[in-house]
Amino acid sequence: MNATQNDAHCRQGAPSVATAAKRAGTRDAKRTPGTRGGLRRREHWTGFSLCLPAWVLLCALYLAPIIVLALLSVTDYEMGAVRWKVVGLDNYRRAFSDPVFRRSLANTLLYMVLVVPLSVAGGLFIALLVHARGVSRAFYEVIYFLPVTATLVAMATVWQFLLHPTLGPFNHLLDLAGLGRHNFLNQPGLMLPTLAAIGIWQLLGFNMILFLSRLSQIPQSLYDAAAIDGASHAIDRFLCVTVPLLGPTLLFVIVTSSITAFKIFDTVAVLTQGRHGSEVLLYDIYLEGFTYSRTGYAAALTVIFLALILLLSVWQTRQLDKKVHYA
Amino acid sequence: MKQLASLACRTLLPRLGALLSAMTLLLGAPAHAETTLDVMYCYPSFARFHEPLAQEFMKLHPDITVKFRAPLASYDEGHQAMLRNAVTNQLPDVYYSGYHLLGELIHKLEARDQAVRIESLLKGEGDAFAAANFAPRLLALGQVDSRQYGLPFNASSPIMYVNADLVQKAGGDPQNMPTTWDGLIKLAGRIHALDKDINGLSYNIDAWPDDWLFQSIIDQQGGRMVKPGTKKAGFDGPVGLAALRTLRRLVTEGGMQMVDWDQSRQQFSAGKTGIFFSTPAQLRQVTDAVGSSFHFTTARFPLDDKTNGGVPTGGNAVILLAKDPAKQKAAWEFMKFVTSARGQKVVVEMTGYLPTNKLALGNDFLGPFYAVNPNFKTATTQIDIALPWSGYPGGQSVRIWRAQRDVIGTVMRGEKTPEGALPELIKVTEDLME
Repeated sequence: MNATQNDAHCRQGAPSVATAAKRAGTRDAKRTPGTRGGLRRREHWTGFSLCLPAWVLLCALYLAPIIVLALLSVTDYEMGAVRWKVVGLDNYRRAFSDPVFRRSLANTLLYMVLVVPLSVAGGLFIALLVHARGVSRAFYEVIYFLPVTATLVAMATVWQFLLHPTLGPFNHLLDLAGLGRHNFLNQPGLMLPTLAAIGIWQLLGFNMILFLSRLSQIPQSLYDAAAIDGASHAIDRFLCVTVPLLGPTLLFVIVTSSITAFKIFDTVAVLTQGRHGSEVLLYDIYLEGFTYSRTGYAAALTVIFLALILLLSVWQTRQLDKKVHYA
Repeated sequence: MKQLASLACRTLLPRLGALLSAMTLLLGAPAHAETTLDVMYCYPSFARFHEPLAQEFMKLHPDITVKFRAPLASYDEGHQAMLRNAVTNQLPDVYYSGYHLLGELIHKLEARDQAVRIESLLKGEGDAFAAANFAPRLLALGQVDSRQYGLPFNASSPIMYVNADLVQKAGGDPQNMPTTWDGLIKLAGRIHALDKDINGLSYNIDAWPDDWLFQSIIDQQGGRMVKPGTKKAGFDGPVGLAALRTLRRLVTEGGMQMVDWDQSRQQFSAGKTGIFFSTPAQLRQVTDAVGSSFHFTTARFPLDDKTNGGVPTGGNAVILLAKDPAKQKAAWEFMKFVTSARGQKVVVEMTGYLPTNKLALGNDFLGPFYAVNPNFKTATTQIDIALPWSGYPGGQSVRIWRAQRDVIGTVMRGEKTPEGALPELIKVTEDLME
């Protein structure tokens, strides 16, 4: 969650810093027209040295590990092995013919398809309801945001009990309703939808907060103007005013929700241990790298995983950018 | 962080003459030199016996300081950390390795010339020492390829946790539980018939993280996992088929519910399971959870083959990794202490593990404890049927088990017949042994 929150800050922070710098630059240039060349050089070096620490950190913490990862992915290195050799693209070929990896990929995509639309639409719906509240707004904000603050691993244990086939209250209710008891965390067909429901529960509050912050910024005058122009029904005003103005936030929420869903790991690790029916990408990588010690192969899977995340984000951003109206 | 910490430990380089001082110390001379032992174990909850053991050891050996690294979350994670430490040359002096991973670990360490054999140290204690302290079956748990690398520290074989009230209601005798699987399944069926919310029994093989319970169901028939000297599954034919049929019957006739192992334990503690199979290592925990809500007893694992049948031994061996002679000497003293009758008494009373030192069973140590806590005694009666927890050749045991578990799950849920699934079970096993 922290990463996505930081991203949010960056997105909002970056443009203002850039424009400020630009403004400062033009002001300086105007004041001292004589030494423009020298000043520019000095500015150039100052700028470079100011960037340097960030660049060093970026290289050490992100770029270098990714390069090492890519190099490992073309070897058959196993943790602790003395000898290893370069195997070219064998690991990648093996990945796409590995039934476990293919199932993991399919399951992860299915999980995303279940989680992203419901957590985004649900988050927006709740945000609209909460936004309309007066005094009780803060109360609902806290209620819906609580799951975000809870440690998922600890909450997973609670879910385990809630969904227990005989002891769990959830199954008790189903039984009373005449729907019978279900083994949500062990029946292969039910595992993924159950994990998705927990994933949605976790994401809803976070998405709601993001939508709420944007909703508060939409001026009432726009709604009044729309009403005068004939948008008499609430749904009309929602479609004509709210949705277009929410555009950037919607884009951001969809991208971060997709990435969060794609990275599903903790609930699987705690609740189903990746049993048949709940195999997902990150858990497969974890098994290969940390349980089976196949470092080289796990590195190849990680490269595939990163490439997929990158593709997904770029594609989504491009697609949605076309339709987003930046206010 | 962990690595930094261990680096800090490592900078306390052994001083010159430490070996000499350690030896004079043993003879009762005053302490001057200090040796620090760097020890690593798995499962943070095991701190409850590792810490007091270390305290007691340091009282007996004031010249030796035992420093624990942060405990690892599981045997698998410990194994991984060991491999990383081997690469960065930061191995601890002493490590507690899960028996099922010991072979893989030693093979990797031997290839890097980082393994340490302890035969000479064992011999140095005199010819009678090993025989006087360890049953041969248990001492063998510290061996890899017939060479001794460690001493058995924690040992357990699966036992039955019994809800005696439910067994009695169903017409069974908790003191004389069935000793065959057929008898057990029939009793479990009668327990389930009392109330549909009550599970007759729970044998959570389909959710177990490793193949311990699968080896149990093969071993108890006198079968073995691998045909000796080959890369062929040992459970092809009648043994494997009988195992799968039994496992299916647990669900159809024994009123077993396929749930996670934690959920199963919660359910037993809530009094809603007749018979629950687990490790004696959880006895203390379950005993406390049950309290006085029902009469709780334990019983031996049923054996269909009473002569050749056995049960695999789980737990961990304490192994030596220090290369420096002074540290080796100190580490050996530590290993001897934690596996001594005195050390084992501490461990057994806090967990339920069976003592690896046979002297610990005597009246001076655990005798009185077992008299008061008969549930804890069951595990010790299985020492004579203890088998090693074997791995597969090729070092892919965990991957093999995950593939096997999927197949076993389909049989237990009735998606495949035992006859139809056995060839698949053998195939996934043998394909990965290469």
